[in-house]
Amino acid sequence: MKLDSKIPEGPLAEKWTNYKTTQKLVNPTNKRKLNIIVVGTGLAGASAAASLGALGFNVDIFCIQDSPRRAHSIAAQGGINAAKNYQNDGDSVERLFRDTIKGGDYRAREANVYRLAEVSGDIIDQCVAQGVPFARDYSGLLDNRSFGGAQVSRTFYARGQTGQQLLLGAYGALSREIERGSVKLHTRCEMEELVLMKDTDGRERARGIIVRNLVTGKLERYSAHAVVLATGGYGNVYFLSTNAMNSNGSAAWICHRKGALFANPCYVQIHPTCIPVHGDYQSKLTLMSESLRNDGRIWVPKKKEDAEAIRAGQKNANDIPEEERDYYLERRYPAFGNLVPRDVASRAAKERCDAGYGVGSTGLAVFLDFADAIKRLGRKVVEQKYGNLFQMYQKITDKNPYETPMMIYPAVHYTMGGLWVDYELQTTIPGLFAAGEANFSDHGANRLGASALMQGLADGYFVLPYTLQNYLADQITIGHIPTDTPEFDEAEQAVRQREQQLMDIKGDKTVDYFHKRLGHIMWEYVGMSRNEESLTKAATMIDELENEFWQHVQMPGEIESFNPEMEKALRLTDYFELARLITADALHRRESCGGHFRTESQTDDGETLRDDNNFMYVAAWEYQGHNQPETLHKEELSYEHIKIATRNYKN
Amino acid sequence: METNRLIKISSITKKLLIALFGAFLLVFLLFHMCANLFILANDGGDAYSAFCHFMGTNIIVKIFEIVLFGCLILHAVLTVWLWWLNKKNRPVGYHKHSRTKTAKGSKLAIITGSLLVICLAFHFYDFYFVKLNFVKGSYMVKMEDFMTSDPTLEISEEAQLVFINAINDGRTSKDMKWLRNLSAEDKDILQQAFPEAGFEPDFYAIAHQKFSVWHIVLCYLVFFFVVGLHIRHGFESAFQTFGLNHYKYSRIVEILGIVYCWVVCLGFAIVPIGVFFRL
Amino acid sequence: MNFTLHIWRQENAKAKGHFETYKVSDISSDCSFLEMLDILNEKLINDHIAHPVCFDNDCREGICGMCGLYINGRPHGNDDGVTTCQLHMRKFNDGDEIWIEPWRAKAFPVIRDLVVDRSAFDKIIQAGGYISVTTGGVPDANTIAIPKRFADMAMDAAECIGCGACVAACKNASAMLFVGAKVAHLAMLPQGQVEANERVKKMVCRMDELGFGSCTNTYACEAECPKQIKRQNIARLNREWIKQLFAGNHKPNEL
Repeated sequence: MKLDSKIPEGPLAEKWTNYKTTQKLVNPTNKRKLNIIVVGTGLAGASAAASLGALGFNVDIFCIQDSPRRAHSIAAQGGINAAKNYQNDGDSVERLFRDTIKGGDYRAREANVYRLAEVSGDIIDQCVAQGVPFARDYSGLLDNRSFGGAQVSRTFYARGQTGQQLLLGAYGALSREIERGSVKLHTRCEMEELVLMKDTDGRERARGIIVRNLVTGKLERYSAHAVVLATGGYGNVYFLSTNAMNSNGSAAWICHRKGALFANPCYVQIHPTCIPVHGDYQSKLTLMSESLRNDGRIWVPKKKEDAEAIRAGQKNANDIPEEERDYYLERRYPAFGNLVPRDVASRAAKERCDAGYGVGSTGLAVFLDFADAIKRLGRKVVEQKYGNLFQMYQKITDKNPYETPMMIYPAVHYTMGGLWVDYELQTTIPGLFAAGEANFSDHGANRLGASALMQGLADGYFVLPYTLQNYLADQITIGHIPTDTPEFDEAEQAVRQREQQLMDIKGDKTVDYFHKRLGHIMWEYVGMSRNEESLTKAATMIDELENEFWQHVQMPGEIESFNPEMEKALRLTDYFELARLITADALHRRESCGGHFRTESQTDDGETLRDDNNFMYVAAWEYQGHNQPETLHKEELSYEHIKIATRNYKN
Repeated sequence: METNRLIKISSITKKLLIALFGAFLLVFLLFHMCANLFILANDGGDAYSAFCHFMGTNIIVKIFEIVLFGCLILHAVLTVWLWWLNKKNRPVGYHKHSRTKTAKGSKLAIITGSLLVICLAFHFYDFYFVKLNFVKGSYMVKMEDFMTSDPTLEISEEAQLVFINAINDGRTSKDMKWLRNLSAEDKDILQQAFPEAGFEPDFYAIAHQKFSVWHIVLCYLVFFFVVGLHIRHGFESAFQTFGLNHYKYSRIVEILGIVYCWVVCLGFAIVPIGVFFRL
Repeated sequence: MNFTLHIWRQENAKAKGHFETYKVSDISSDCSFLEMLDILNEKLINDHIAHPVCFDNDCREGICGMCGLYINGRPHGNDDGVTTCQLHMRKFNDGDEIWIEPWRAKAFPVIRDLVVDRSAFDKIIQAGGYISVTTGGVPDANTIAIPKRFADMAMDAAECIGCGACVAACKNASAMLFVGAKVAHLAMLPQGQVEANERVKKMVCRMDELGFGSCTNTYACEAECPKQIKRQNIARLNREWIKQLFAGNHKPNEL
């Protein structure tokens, strides 16, 4: 298979304009004849469905929750980047582009990232017009703050709930289209199969999906001229992550099984500032926004004795005098200090904890201290900026962060990898598009803070409405696609079979029991730092666990009923395969870059060491059947515009 | 879902109407309370009687009386309707009783309101129905009504006796314009003798009769307490329903509500207490 | 810690429900309420006692609004300003009896056990809880300056997570706080002015049609709102409604 990224001709800055001026369009009467399925109602899905509906297409949108507004984009706290340069601090499209490429450790596609930076400003305009209450300064104009990996303040925010406000904006736009009748909403529906149909030209195209109605357990069929996947990332393969309980990678994996290539699965972002794990009953980890690093200082004790005393509960953070504290990020990265990119901050925390300087009862935590900020700005200002985050922290831990420093530790947060897409966001299956976290395209090996919201909305508002038309222009003669075809029968049969298979095991263990163990394997051996040995070990352990699962899992209830255990089991079966692919990808990439850190490949002072000669490519994997090694396809990354350099956040 | 009803009144408009009528009643209550204070004036009831006469005869006042009763009835009827509609919105209730911390006033409003209806019935029996001639009370009449009567008319001895007794007992106003505190029998006798004389209820006398009995005083104090509870909710609530609740002045409204509540309740309560203890 | 749980069990929307009593033991005080239910479910499955208890949950950090249980007489349990997923067992006493019920309202029918259908909220928003802009062709974000105070107040209202606790707490099952929050959020911004009259009318009419009660100013909603949305938003809704009555372009028989 030859991967064609379909990057338009011309200089980088003109590619998107060139594409838009030469692409095919669908005229208004024909738009009415075309159906589009959008799976997922997060930022990418909701914004895409709203925009496409407004254009005049017939859109069906699906979500697993009871309302589109529950999608996990809602939990994004910090902000959204845009190259507006409202602060006059030297920002520009070019600089946002460069920061993103550099932040991604030179593993992202230049053209996609440039387009992202280009449309970033439009997103802010759009959201303000929708009534998103962004933070403003006393002049009444929009306020910005700074985020990791940038030396300018380009992050727009709405308190600590930016994701919520942006999603509610998109949800509003979606609701409007639902009321107008152009979009049909299907809640509590989970995609279980992708339906492909052969066209007259012999090419298989995405023509529909099978969904499980989560209320009745019945399977339903939907057909369309194109399918858009906006189902988020697969971070929950680690069981404990900052993702929501129901976030899952199944929809993307189902498409992968049907032939869509899966790119860079090993690029998993570990977020440095999460509330540490405190018990084995724990179901998820809570993120503390990266924005806290604007004013908070991260430290551990300089002396091991102090760290031990804190772990034993004999000393408190406030007992450690200033000169005995090691502000290790400020020490190691003077230029960026506490605002280094996430992967760097996470690894630095792990390095300190592994070296025995960790705090908290488990020793797996570092301090995030606001004493200086409170002294400098006053408690009131700090409260205004971070009040809700502090409150959230206190609710979970029962400790007051105004008085004692917060304790934080890295946790799985975002997956840069995802379905391989070309410049048009189309996967290797014609008619199947992927947007937002579900695709791989814009963040390379590491995503910068406040860029996920930017990418999701860019894809949905400003990219898909164009590129989808370029595809659909050929589809206007197809007409209505029936759902009573052998292809649909077969797809539905396959789902029923999977469900029945799970019911028939009648084992003695719950789904969560296996999921927790899988998460543990992944975190231990395929987590923040990996090596040949740990990865090989993980691969066998995953195989063993999967075998055990297929013999011992227990399914209560019936297939055709409201059955959350069945939902979880179906997702877990995909996680096993996904975990195996993540491990294989991590194993094959014998370099360190961004979120992927191989201990074999590091500099003398423990930084990531890339191998641009051998690994300057996107690894796109092709499914070969259950338990079969997947085939690797490479999309070489050629940087025409940017000079490749070592990432440097020190000076 | 469109239904073709003659008129569609939204839940907010219903509530607005209730608040509007309630607000009118609140204003009336303040007026009523001020008027009552005349009873305590140390003039043997002259000022109060003059006031009652004005209220009983002025045409504008009479129109307002109708409006007032309209408000009262609509306020109650709408509330009960809304309450009944609202009950249907939770067909299956909670097993565990609500432990949410809320102001009690609103939850009690329907109960205090219902109590008020009963209290009002007694209150009307005591006072207002006298005016409507449903029940008997004490009466007063202008002296000049006797004077201008036809001199050829024969006046019964009985009537003369009643008249003379009243004068002798000092049941007249200081300026001798009114003959007051006539019992129902006396009134009937005099009315027979002077068909054209306009008798009016003597609320001053009625108040003094009623409020000299301790259990009636107690009943009225309870009544005012219930009124207090009801308007404690009503006052602030009306502002809220009219949309006049804002971070800037919600505190002021709250204080105003408390002040209003106390002023009205104490203003009302002071009359029966004052009369009972002959202050 | 040990607890006795009385949980509402209901097979499906049509079935008749009942309370079932379960015991859980050795629960850490740092455990969240939903994690305690996870532990119970693990036990129910492993020991073949019953079908696991179904309850809605997703983000488990208090922002998605998916979870919502009526715990011992209070929506989201005995703590202020939290969602059910943020409620921790340290708020209970060892040996407590805990009654767990679903949201109860005509507009929120039970789907199974503790799961209710809150799509009525979506329908209210669909009626007009947005500013009707299509993608593209909008002015620059800084074209209109909005006083910080108003932007902040709009944000206060916009924090609503749509969990439905206001309806669950209200003795009339009224959605006025939910509708008020959205109307107030958009009414506070210049962008929201154009459709203000139409918006409030459509949303309130839809709210009435869907079987929510009316507001009788008890403010149980405000007391139980996990995001502590204020009653002033309901006043704002009333104000907008009155404005609409006099300015709106509506049929004379619709008041």
